[in-house]
Amino acid sequence: MSGPRRRLIALAALALAFGACALAVVLGGAHNTDRGAYAALALAIGWGFTGTGLYVWTRRSASNLGPLMCAVGFAGLWKALTFSNDGAVFTIGSLGAVLIYALLVHLLLSFPSGRLESRLERGLVAIAYFNTTVLQLAGLVFTDPAKSGCAKCPGNALLIERSEAAHVIAAAQIDIAVAVLGAVVAVLYRHWRTGTPGQARAFTPVLAVGSVTFALLMTSLVVEQAEASSELARALTLALFASIACLPFAFLGGLLRARFSQAEAISSLVGRLGDGGGRGVLRDALAQALGDEDLQLAYWVPDQGVYVDAAGRPMRIDPPPPGKLATPIEHEGERIAAIVHAAELAEQPELVQTVGAAAALTLRNERLDAELRAKVAELQASRSRIVQAGYEQRRQLERDLHDGAQQRLMALGINLRLIRERIEREPEARELLDASLEELGEATSELRELARGIHPAVLTNRGLEAALKGLATRSPVPVRVLATPEDRLPLSIEAAVYFVVAEALTNAARYAQAQTVTVSVARRNGQIELEVSDDGVGGADADRGSGLRGLQDRVAALDGRMELRSADGEGTVVRARIPCG
Amino acid sequence: MIVAEDSVLLREGIVRLLGEAGFEVVGQAGDGEELMRKARAHKPDVAIVDIRMPPTHTDEGLRAARAIREELPDTGVLVLSQYVEEEYALELLSDDAAGVGYLLKDRVSDLDRFADAIRRVAEGGSALDPEVVSQMLGRRRAEDPLGELTEREREVLALMAEGRSNQAIAEGLTISGRAVEKHVTSIFVKLELAPAAEDHRRVLAVLAFLGS
Repeated sequence: MSGPRRRLIALAALALAFGACALAVVLGGAHNTDRGAYAALALAIGWGFTGTGLYVWTRRSASNLGPLMCAVGFAGLWKALTFSNDGAVFTIGSLGAVLIYALLVHLLLSFPSGRLESRLERGLVAIAYFNTTVLQLAGLVFTDPAKSGCAKCPGNALLIERSEAAHVIAAAQIDIAVAVLGAVVAVLYRHWRTGTPGQARAFTPVLAVGSVTFALLMTSLVVEQAEASSELARALTLALFASIACLPFAFLGGLLRARFSQAEAISSLVGRLGDGGGRGVLRDALAQALGDEDLQLAYWVPDQGVYVDAAGRPMRIDPPPPGKLATPIEHEGERIAAIVHAAELAEQPELVQTVGAAAALTLRNERLDAELRAKVAELQASRSRIVQAGYEQRRQLERDLHDGAQQRLMALGINLRLIRERIEREPEARELLDASLEELGEATSELRELARGIHPAVLTNRGLEAALKGLATRSPVPVRVLATPEDRLPLSIEAAVYFVVAEALTNAARYAQAQTVTVSVARRNGQIELEVSDDGVGGADADRGSGLRGLQDRVAALDGRMELRSADGEGTVVRARIPCG
Repeated sequence: MIVAEDSVLLREGIVRLLGEAGFEVVGQAGDGEELMRKARAHKPDVAIVDIRMPPTHTDEGLRAARAIREELPDTGVLVLSQYVEEEYALELLSDDAAGVGYLLKDRVSDLDRFADAIRRVAEGGSALDPEVVSQMLGRRRAEDPLGELTEREREVLALMAEGRSNQAIAEGLTISGRAVEKHVTSIFVKLELAPAAEDHRRVLAVLAFLGS
């Protein structure tokens, strides 16, 4: 048997024994009326609270509610000791006679989360404890029960000196209690109003009975202070105890209601999961089951060690977004996903876990989807980075050529030219130099064309229109540029468009025997549409010849598509679409 | 004369070459800013400007050229470029071709033609690289009035577009000045252009036609 379980059974046994003692004390009490009723109520409160408290304790071992309910039960039995005819027992009973009210305040304010959420709540509970312990003791040492309306009461073992201070302290205790109770009722009402639907469901019975209890308590305190009719006070006290006796069942009812709503949520969830459906259905079903519209699902990708959303985008949930909590969901010991939900749901971890478990299988399937999407997204991103880096390198290479080799060759040419002027009279040397200069001229222009092919500087500086115009001008086949976008586009898109057009023009001139080529680049519906068509012989095939293939890859790296239509004798059309914000 | 070119090696080569050709270089600059400072200080007849200079290595030269033409109308600007881009040529010459030139860097080592271009720019004329002209002339148009020109007229048109005077055209083609005038008139009629007296206006008209 586990330790906690043994402890709970020991507590139950203690409550039974303590209850039996209290029963004997109340029934034997010589200084009270309504002994039978009080005996029944003492047992109902004591056993009712400890019994339900122990049940809640087993169900929600992490929550304070179970221990608090048990404490209320024991405090109820403790209070019964005031019926004792024995001085010592009577005194002990009197010392703890009002502690039950402070515990009730604590319990109600902690319901249903088991925590005190605000400083106001903690303050109210602290005042209640102070009022029912320290002040109770302070009053007791000055109170002689025999001389304050209870002639048959036994002696007060703690009495130091009978004093008027007892009255003053008692009056203060009542004032404080009334104020605290008023505030508590207001706070409880606010809890009920602002809680989640699930909380409200659990809260309604507790709030109803709790409010009646506190209202009765306040009234009886006021009546006691006014020292009005003792009949009324008696009836009020009985009613108050009866209402306290009902409270544990209100708590139980509330928790059961919450559980019932959970069961309902889970059965509807299971039903909806059975319906199947596309992406988002699972999230919606979970959102409904947990009553959290903003619920998000984060799927675990073990390879990358990250959570991603359904689209495969990385998602940060540690720490979770403000006001949210992430509950990890496992299936057969394997981490699958996390439900990112409203922090308020932390009060029902069982619900979140149960709902998660019900959805685990579906979640696992969707996780595989999300994982795949994450991988695709990662691949796409890396491909696009590689292409982008390629463009950057080409640009750099062109610049290095321009600033380095090209300038040096040029300077060399000038020097040779100057030398030539000086060796006017030596024909052989002149001839040699002329040949060198010619060679140098060839080298320079070859290098120039090479550099331009690597990356056209005018593309970076002036954009597509100028660069395409340059291409068209240099093309041996007449080219008509019908349209180009007015605005500058991202470098990688401009470069892709440029190289596609360049390659298509080269092919048109080299293989297609085309008479004219038309080029059109337009920005439409968030994408760049590119078309290059010629009137040549057709029959081009992207799979033969790496030029077009490589361009297809470049376009695809930008999430675009490129197609080639080139039936024999019908010319060639290259079309590409590239998404562009 | 001022030379602006960020490659010291090339700049010094050009300076030496210019000295050889009898030009006086009063200042050298490595970027657009230095160029402007020295141009203001020396007010040279011509600034020879590399198109790509620090800091951005894109088109500093073009911008400096425009600034000089605006601020110092007596200073001509000859822009040198590694590549011939029609776009740059039109940007530079199409507003006002007076005192402006655009040449491929390679031309520098052909001293006679380089010197000729410098002189034209210094005198308020213009100089356009033959490669730009041939690209523009070579481009086919839907209804091409260029097709109506005779071979000789095309040659005259090309030299005209480069910014040469009638006399230079006559010398280049070894024909008489009168013949050149006849050809020019005929070209203007065929291309439906308004006649222009000065050389640089003629360049403008021809460029407007070819660049369209």
